[in-house]
Amino acid sequence: MTASADALDVAAAVRRGDVRASARLISRIEAGDESIVPVLQSLYLAGGNTPVIGITGPPGAGKSTLVDQLVSRYRAKSLTVAVLAIDPASPFSGGAILGDRVRMVRHNTDSGVFIRSMSSRGVLGGLARAAGDALIVLGAMGKDLILVETVGVGQNEIDIMRHAGSVVILQTPGTGDAVQAVKAGILEIGDVFVVNKSDTPGADRTVAALREAIEFRYDPHDANAWLPSVLKTQATDASGVEELVQTIERHAAHLASHPQAQRQRLLAQARVRITELVSEGLRRRYLGSHAMNAPFAALLDDLVDRRTDPYAAAGRLLGAVG
Amino acid sequence: MTDSRSAADIKAHLEDVSVKLSRTATWSGIETQASYGPNDLPDHDYARDSGDPGEYPYTRGAYPQMYRSRMWTLRNIVGYGAPADTREAIAGALKMGTAGINVVLDTLSQEAIDPDHPALSADAGQEGCSLPTVRDLEVLLEGIDVTQTDVAWHSTMMVYPLVVAMVRKQGKDLSKLQGSHMPDHLQLRLGGWSEAIVPAELGHRTTVDCIEYSVKHSPRWALGCPQAYDLRERGLPASGEIAVGMAIAKQTLRDLAARGLGVDRVAPSMAWVSGSDIDFFEEIAKFRALRRVWARTMREQFGSQDARAQRLRIACHTSGRSLVYPQPLNNLSRAAVQTLAALLGGVQSLETCTYDEPICIPTEEARELATRTQQILAHEVGAARTADPLGGSYYIEALTHRVEADALELLGKIEAIGLVKAVEEGTVEAIMDDYNYKIQGELDRQERILVGVNKFQPKAETPPKRFRFNQAHMESHLQRFKELKGSRDDVVLREKIDALYRVAHRRENAHAAMIDALLADGSIGEVWGTVRLATGLPYDPFRVLESPFGTPRL
Amino acid sequence: MSAGVTIRCLLGMLGTDVHSKGIRTLAQLLRDRGVEVIYLGEHNTADGMVSALIAEDADVIGLSFSTSTYVHYTRDLIERMKAAGVDDVPVMLGGLIHREDEAELRSIGVKGIFGPGSTTEQIVRFLEEVTGKRLSAGRDGFG
Repeated sequence: MTASADALDVAAAVRRGDVRASARLISRIEAGDESIVPVLQSLYLAGGNTPVIGITGPPGAGKSTLVDQLVSRYRAKSLTVAVLAIDPASPFSGGAILGDRVRMVRHNTDSGVFIRSMSSRGVLGGLARAAGDALIVLGAMGKDLILVETVGVGQNEIDIMRHAGSVVILQTPGTGDAVQAVKAGILEIGDVFVVNKSDTPGADRTVAALREAIEFRYDPHDANAWLPSVLKTQATDASGVEELVQTIERHAAHLASHPQAQRQRLLAQARVRITELVSEGLRRRYLGSHAMNAPFAALLDDLVDRRTDPYAAAGRLLGAVG
Repeated sequence: MTDSRSAADIKAHLEDVSVKLSRTATWSGIETQASYGPNDLPDHDYARDSGDPGEYPYTRGAYPQMYRSRMWTLRNIVGYGAPADTREAIAGALKMGTAGINVVLDTLSQEAIDPDHPALSADAGQEGCSLPTVRDLEVLLEGIDVTQTDVAWHSTMMVYPLVVAMVRKQGKDLSKLQGSHMPDHLQLRLGGWSEAIVPAELGHRTTVDCIEYSVKHSPRWALGCPQAYDLRERGLPASGEIAVGMAIAKQTLRDLAARGLGVDRVAPSMAWVSGSDIDFFEEIAKFRALRRVWARTMREQFGSQDARAQRLRIACHTSGRSLVYPQPLNNLSRAAVQTLAALLGGVQSLETCTYDEPICIPTEEARELATRTQQILAHEVGAARTADPLGGSYYIEALTHRVEADALELLGKIEAIGLVKAVEEGTVEAIMDDYNYKIQGELDRQERILVGVNKFQPKAETPPKRFRFNQAHMESHLQRFKELKGSRDDVVLREKIDALYRVAHRRENAHAAMIDALLADGSIGEVWGTVRLATGLPYDPFRVLESPFGTPRL
Repeated sequence: MSAGVTIRCLLGMLGTDVHSKGIRTLAQLLRDRGVEVIYLGEHNTADGMVSALIAEDADVIGLSFSTSTYVHYTRDLIERMKAAGVDDVPVMLGGLIHREDEAELRSIGVKGIFGPGSTTEQIVRFLEEVTGKRLSAGRDGFG
């Protein structure tokens, strides 16, 4: 599909850093507007140069405050930043309160900072795809780096974090068991672990538990391996934030000096991205147009009344489209 | 004689005015029974749980004779425009028979921002009096000797240092200073003063600093802490007011004890600032439960041995939030009932909200009617002649126990997290958001009736009279402010600002240094801005202005 | 309505006003109706709000006021929206808005006014009207 003149205009505007054009494009991504795919294609091919840092953690860990502090530190170093702040939607209504940027109000009028809030809108599987596409846009705007902030460590969040070169996992001390901190999944994806609210009793215990679990998984004989750091921060007064910035830089340098490890990560990202797009395409093809139509409804009735079974029904749908 | 209209027509025109019970729970949500009897109070012990009025645990009142020996202070709120405008209003209120004045400051002064702030100047003088400097305070209180007359300040930030600076400037004896203000900063933080304007940690520390300074230097100055009126208005049930207020009071007292000021030294200067909401019986129960919780806490947890620390004095302002905009004259009834509840609840000072509260700042007529409400209750209704008249009512005693129990449960939850942390993390704010959300849902579904708002709406009404004042004084006030900045001794001021910066940077009590800077004609924006800078915050919470003093010398 | 389409509504307050319990409650109620609320809280400057409006590509901007100076702040905001080329975004006001000021506010460009006693339902209907999008609770998960 060659890009139309319009699409090229939009792409060019984004690459100039045009806030309005980029914001509108992201809205159309979220709306599932397929007509913008040529723009995304063009931007993807021209992109890949902006480092992406992912930050995630449970609700109440102080992520937004920490992100706000990080943005300030980067700005103090004259680096421009884009922030993608992702909040969960209500599973019932699909609505959401996107309340991350309220903690970053001081950056509102700084043209060196672009902040966009996003939620899943209850669309099954669509969040990771939309976030990935939004990152293509942010990556083309010419900023020095991108911060992606999500809540929690569910499958959605892990898939989004795969788009990041460096992943920072936030924990609060004393939120239950120190063992909670070492649940499967987050240890695999985290490059830097941060225990925020470091003045809380139990902070040091959480740090120790994390270090222990990390060291257990670390293979000192693997030349490419990165030993994740465990840091303490107190986001409200910015303590520990400079150390975090430096740790992230060290990780970036590690990736740059271990191109094989870097490439493995990029390949894994690409695999996830393609899988998302193909899954969503297939879902749309097999189910999208059927959702409102009578034969599909009849099939559902047959299933409930046990005249057919789910495998046969699915087989019919797959077979029908070829 | 038959009317030309048909019976059906007439019926259609008649509103259904039969009164149906719309809810059986209290306004805060406590379910109630159809009646109460002795079986509802199996564990109630008079001596332990009630005591006589004036006796520990003071459930029935702080004093034995209550209003027979000391009438409540009838206070009226005044404050708008320039200091000269409010001076006029004070004179008017005193003439009308008010015993006590409570001055409210405009939002800029309350937030310690100067009236010439480029983005915010439109707000100066609009919702209260603009008071940026000591010289303005002198204009406002011209002819009033604050060592003889009790002026209360409905404000938190910078007002006490302003008053002390004025007393020193006038060469008066600070130990004789009368009056009060509300030093509780955490309440602001919970009430919509964002972290930008009142950071939780700096705010709470300033509260402790202020009380420490006042207890040591102006022992007759009363400290309205906690400021539970605004906590409640923000979104808490009756029991929540007690819980959050107690959490603030206890943390403050603990911090003061750590500085060597024990409960018996501090608590007698403190008064609880409370609202009086619309549920008559629940409010009375709240006041009683509050006194009991306070007394027991002071004695059992803080080791108080002085009755003056254990018997809580309550300063009450009837609830503004419960008054409504449509058909505002109904608010006269609401405020009257709330005032009666406060008197039967045994408060020590009382402000009746004006009926036009939801519309604008009070007109003179509304202020007069508010005063008359109290006078009618005092002289005609007999609301004050007997202490705790509802004590012994099975219903009231049961409700008192219930409000107390709910309060202690929530207080435990907050203290388990730690108050400042619970505020910083948004835990307390979330409780308030949930409460408001629940209420709005009930209003939307008409499970909760607010007369005039979601039922029994008035037909088209003419908009009520709004308070307007001559803006000319504001213009000259701003002009004088500008001239002051141009004519003061910059060298001396700079010295005081630097000294203040050093003290605040070391996280010591900055009050003496703030007072010195105000005496050198520093403005509240400049003085507080310097404290902010010293604490690592931007000078201006709105990030528009930079400090005119540049980088202070450490 | 295809999945992925919703109404993005910016909610915030300008100036020194602190009475945010109204918009905090409204944010929750709108979320329940499927709106994406971008919550800006208290103490914003008009410039800050306009920047946020552009970056978030909001469909509607909602302001709440309980201080009497709302005509001034609203006029200032709309002027800045014009200068930034986003005055096509509908503006709605809520809070203590006096009926006698409504005509002036509308002439400044305010599209929706929700004074005391307004219901969530009225606001939702307004949002649907001005954006041309319909809200529906519940998602079927199909693309």
